[in-house]
Amino acid sequence: MRGDRRSDAELLAGIGVGDLGAMRELYDRHAPWLSIRLSRRYRDAEVVADALQDAFVAVWQKPGAFGGRGDVAGWLWGIAIRRLISRLRGRREVILGYQHAEDPVVPAAEEQVLLAVEYGDVGQALARLSPQLRAVIQAVVLDGLTTKEAARLLQMPEGSVKTRLSRAKVQLRAALLEGLS
Amino acid sequence: MTTWHVSEVVLRRWIDGLAALPDSTSVEQHLLVCGQCRDRVRVARRDEPAAPVPNLDLVWDRIRDAVELPRASWWERLLRRIGLPAHDARLVAAAPAFRGSWVMGVLIVLGFAELAAQLGHTRGELFYLAVAPLLPCLAVAVSYDPDVEPALEQELATPYSAVRLVVLRTIAVLAVSVPAVVLLNLIFPAHAPFLWLLPAAGFVTAVLALSTWMNPLTAAVAISVVWIGAVWRASTEGAAGAVLHTQFQVGYLVLVVVSTGVFVARGRHVREVRPRWNRS
Repeated sequence: MRGDRRSDAELLAGIGVGDLGAMRELYDRHAPWLSIRLSRRYRDAEVVADALQDAFVAVWQKPGAFGGRGDVAGWLWGIAIRRLISRLRGRREVILGYQHAEDPVVPAAEEQVLLAVEYGDVGQALARLSPQLRAVIQAVVLDGLTTKEAARLLQMPEGSVKTRLSRAKVQLRAALLEGLS
Repeated sequence: MTTWHVSEVVLRRWIDGLAALPDSTSVEQHLLVCGQCRDRVRVARRDEPAAPVPNLDLVWDRIRDAVELPRASWWERLLRRIGLPAHDARLVAAAPAFRGSWVMGVLIVLGFAELAAQLGHTRGELFYLAVAPLLPCLAVAVSYDPDVEPALEQELATPYSAVRLVVLRTIAVLAVSVPAVVLLNLIFPAHAPFLWLLPAAGFVTAVLALSTWMNPLTAAVAISVVWIGAVWRASTEGAAGAVLHTQFQVGYLVLVVVSTGVFVARGRHVREVRPRWNRS
């Protein structure tokens, strides 16, 4: 970005040739927000720590998987949330932390969308959904997970995810139409 | 790059896990594209967040340990996938029999033996009979002979059952060498297909049993000399194939049983015998 600071993509190139310093820099830059965002998805800090570790080890092994498209941050988040989900495989505890979300690949004009989400009708409509429906919308629509991944993260059958998703869409649509009239 | 940034208050609420849904959605979306706000999170995170988050220094230590270890070989990962604990998988995979050069060498020797047998020459058949049953036991001996593989010294210096290691490696070596030999046998049907498997099993167990007294490679070489002598003698008396006749097969079976018994009974000596008596 500025001056002699290496860009994230340059750090990935460094990791590709085994530069542990580049790895450390990438970790210092991204682990703080990733760890907090993952903690919002799953409350157990131990599991989040494991997922974070898995994600960065995966980055070390295959830095070339970042194709140069989009932002490194979005790519990292995609890896981290999937590592969290695979860590949850076979766990039975109820997930408590799922409260927020979004889409890993962000369009250029995202500010307008964000302001609309924060202050506008969409945010209001989302906030009015029941917690169960909101969790599904967040996982599938905003976090961009597949219904299968969402089912694992939310620890419910895939069928329930689909049912709740369509129910949530109906409610959102109704809420937005209400806002227009 | 962007004119909109997360406000200080919202950012702090998000870090503490207290932000409402529209706020947290906006923050998370924004962080994906804004390095400045990511830096602000990094700084703000130094004040312990209200909700539990992982300790980043500890996680980094674990990442560093993981990436500094040499990457597991293809073999090792396969062994782990079929359920072997990571520690065992590493020890088994470290055996030289799993290096590509070894497998290639075994295949080339067998290929020549088969070719010779195919040519119909009695010497060819002799060569094949002499070599095929010996290869598995030589592979096993080499896979844990300390002179061939110095790394084993260190492996066995750690508290680990030597018998367990030897047995695991033997199974793994056989899993590689026997299918290779059988495959070649199917491609070029020999005069006595598969009959050599029983003597081969006898020699492998004999190497294991003898290794409780002596160096495994020495044992394997001794067995090889005896076997080649026997094959040679059978050939001078008529047909080399006689060594695979039924009455001898019973003998090989007895060898398997007795050797297994000896190895089980004397297993604790495996470690002591590995010694350096044959080094200066």
